[in-house]
Amino acid sequence: MTVLHEIGGFVRELFLAIPLSVVRVLFVAVPVLLLLWVIRLPRERTISPDGEGLWSENLKYGAAAALLVQIVIYGIL
Amino acid sequence: MATGLTTIDYLVVAIYLVGTLALGLWIGRRVKTGKDFFLGGRQLPWWAIGMSLVATDIGGTDIIGVGGAAFAHGLAVANFEWIGCVPAMIVAAFVFIPYFWRIGVYTIPEFLERRFNASLRSALALCWLIFMACNLGIMLLASAKMMGAMVNVEAVSDWFGWEVERSLAIARIQWVCILATAAMVGVYTCAGGLAAVVYTDMIQCAVMIAGCLLVVALGLIEIGGISGLREGIAQHESDTLTESEVGDSVDAAQTRRGRERTSLILPVDTATPFPWTGIFFGLALILSPAYWIGNQAIVQRSLGAKSEFEAKAAYIWGALLKNIIPFIVAVPGLIALVMFPQLEDGDQAFPKLVSVLLPTGLRGVFLAAFIAALMSSIDSYLNSASTIVTNDFYRRFVNVQADEQRILLIGRGVTLLLVLWAIFFAGYLMGRSEGIYAIFQTMMAFFQGPALAVLMSGLLWRRATGTAALIGFIAGVLSSIGLFALTQPQVYTALGWKPLFQISEPFLYFSVWAFLVSLSLIVPISLCTKPDPASKQQYVVFATESQNGEPR
Repeated sequence: MTVLHEIGGFVRELFLAIPLSVVRVLFVAVPVLLLLWVIRLPRERTISPDGEGLWSENLKYGAAAALLVQIVIYGIL
Repeated sequence: MATGLTTIDYLVVAIYLVGTLALGLWIGRRVKTGKDFFLGGRQLPWWAIGMSLVATDIGGTDIIGVGGAAFAHGLAVANFEWIGCVPAMIVAAFVFIPYFWRIGVYTIPEFLERRFNASLRSALALCWLIFMACNLGIMLLASAKMMGAMVNVEAVSDWFGWEVERSLAIARIQWVCILATAAMVGVYTCAGGLAAVVYTDMIQCAVMIAGCLLVVALGLIEIGGISGLREGIAQHESDTLTESEVGDSVDAAQTRRGRERTSLILPVDTATPFPWTGIFFGLALILSPAYWIGNQAIVQRSLGAKSEFEAKAAYIWGALLKNIIPFIVAVPGLIALVMFPQLEDGDQAFPKLVSVLLPTGLRGVFLAAFIAALMSSIDSYLNSASTIVTNDFYRRFVNVQADEQRILLIGRGVTLLLVLWAIFFAGYLMGRSEGIYAIFQTMMAFFQGPALAVLMSGLLWRRATGTAALIGFIAGVLSSIGLFALTQPQVYTALGWKPLFQISEPFLYFSVWAFLVSLSLIVPISLCTKPDPASKQQYVVFATESQNGEPR
């Protein structure tokens, strides 16, 4: 056993102790946190300066939809 | 049931290929300068770029490799398309891609020279060049494997007049496929540059999704729908329990294996290469951002967008499309598991499904879809590798004053040379049996972690210095290669060691450790060295936006 093995073994034992249910929360938390960030983005960063200001031209909605699908997927599978 | 292709199938493929070639050549008529060739004249629309992003990412290697990995290990491979893509694409869309677009760089290494120094630019450009050049060969090999499994060998042998053994005939068919694919992609990429790549990718993306959806739909019908898939997997797990697993806990072992086969989140001690730790830390936090923010082949097409808004929109559109990809490339692997549980090589899962499920004509549609996936990745890597050679080496070190026409000529010449190299490398790999996807991922893991550490420290930390970044990058790459060497049985046996990692393909862990090694050097060395001048520090992303979006 080398120092590298000792470090690897320690890290492995540490992560083995975490229940998969907690891990699932971690996987779902990533898109949830990103979704909150996207929702709070200032409007000028998500719309086209040359657009007509329609909701369909706001990138926030597309990004939110992509993240919502992720939340559902990692919540179920 | 016949496993080969018929004349109608070949006709469908021929129509598709001629159409793609014609489109590429038509676009090529408008290419007059280096900027047209490498950035599509910065006139590309978001919808084409978004589909091109997906088509580039899902190559022939993915259709075969992801299907094969799903067959061998289960649905967890879908993580590469979901948490391994979508979150990083969203962050890239709103933070990094618009920034790169605003400062007007051609390549990511070019940005690193503006932020740090020329040495780091050259080091990263060299890594990308080696990676892309090798990948070109791997992708061509994927096409050869697919063809070998699909075509009617006897009919093709008769057509060519070959009177040789079947194995030799298959080898010859694979060579014909490699040469034909390389020639086609080479011609339209040479002619049309990035614009041809993006617009042909767009069509290829649509054909690829349609073709793969067809296989999934027919496969699910064949095995009795989703419930049939679930029951088939459970049956497979029951049939393949080993003696050590069968005992007083048969149900528990069966349940655990069945759950692992259909779950995205696998335990640390899973027998597959996809434990959650590798997926979360290695893929989601390191490889994925490195790919979507720092991969030249990916970022380059958004740099060719018409506007900053369109560059953002392309990534969002790509993220939306990404959500459906696992259903069309990973689920077929599970269907193959139910239909052909005795299949020895996972990489044959998708070809086998196609040959059994699809009738004449539709088999040609799928083959066109596969070729589309393959070509969309090859053309992108060709164009990006050429961009790196031309901009990061030729224009930087050989001929600084080169005009746009000269740059266009060099770009086309380099593209041609790369095609020849790819043919050679595919031939070299042909005799080797390692999983295509494993080769691809291992190569990426060598420098993606260090590249991300350098890029993030440069973009986000004003105090990071060029010297520290260069040392951190080199040390990170070396540590990654060192870890790879230490996981080779010949090496650790000779040293009298146990394996460093307890999973079979620990490429996800290489990237994490290499990233940490790089970062742990960049931070203290930066703090110990003289700060870079303000002209370098202005390229930190958040602190530099002036009213017009240019760095101050």
